[in-house]
Amino acid sequence: MDDFERELRQAFERRPTPPGFKSKLMRKRRAQRSPHPAVLWQRLAASIALAAVVAAGFAWRQHEERRKGEAALRQVMIALRITNRALDNMNKQRAAHGRVNQN
Amino acid sequence: MRKQIAAFVFCAAALALPALAQTSQLPAPSPIEKELAARASHVDEITLDKKMLSFAANFMNGKNTQPGANPLDNRDKEDTQKLIEGLEGIYVREYEFEKEGQFSADEVEQLRKYFETSEWSPLVKDRDSKTGESNDVMVKLVNGESQGLFVLDVERKEVSIVLILGPVHMQDLRKVMDIAVRGALTRDDMKKGTKVKEKNQAGSQ
Repeated sequence: MDDFERELRQAFERRPTPPGFKSKLMRKRRAQRSPHPAVLWQRLAASIALAAVVAAGFAWRQHEERRKGEAALRQVMIALRITNRALDNMNKQRAAHGRVNQN
Repeated sequence: MRKQIAAFVFCAAALALPALAQTSQLPAPSPIEKELAARASHVDEITLDKKMLSFAANFMNGKNTQPGANPLDNRDKEDTQKLIEGLEGIYVREYEFEKEGQFSADEVEQLRKYFETSEWSPLVKDRDSKTGESNDVMVKLVNGESQGLFVLDVERKEVSIVLILGPVHMQDLRKVMDIAVRGALTRDDMKKGTKVKEKNQAGSQ
């Protein structure tokens, strides 16, 4: 029992920390917390690349919509010209045959 | 699990239906059109569904335009935009032939029958038996309102089919047709936007 008590006391005995222990510990902790500078750069580069891809996608979509809109408008105009021509032809024919114009 | 799958299928169908409905209104090209196109010296084929029309309307809306990009002035722009926004679809075909007799009366009749359905009311029906020229104008009336215009114009060397779906008011249409004719867009510009087939004339000579 005495031995046990002695061992216990020794185990709980307060010992001074070795010199530089705290700074070593803090350094380790910091190293664990902050990644390596190379990793930081990689992350930054990845973020920039991602942002660039998103921006490019957005710009491309805008451009595509504009292009499609312009093409569609052009086609509407052709369609209306053809419609106009068809109706004019009809009116001319009807006028030639002495019929009343419908338009 | 089955319920979840059923719910997913239902949701997918519910989302897909409006998209299908948008494109289902315009007719599929008739088989005669392909034959006419093969013989024609110049073909214009334009099919614009609701989605494409909304692209055009959005383009005019200025959301996607750069300053000065749109050649139409504001008044014309408003009139055109108003007409385009309301339309459900535009289907136009124009076949120009080099010589007379490159299409038959039977082909024209088949074309007419293809587009002529019970919901269309004839407005003009003109036939010239001597020249073979004919004109058909039909309107689609829904509750007394014009919801579509069909024109089949047959000349000696030309066949034009025009199908405009949606509320069509002749006055508005005439206004925008005038804008188009006035040449708000040049002929060169227009050629880029359409499927134009120019047969090599040298080959036929």
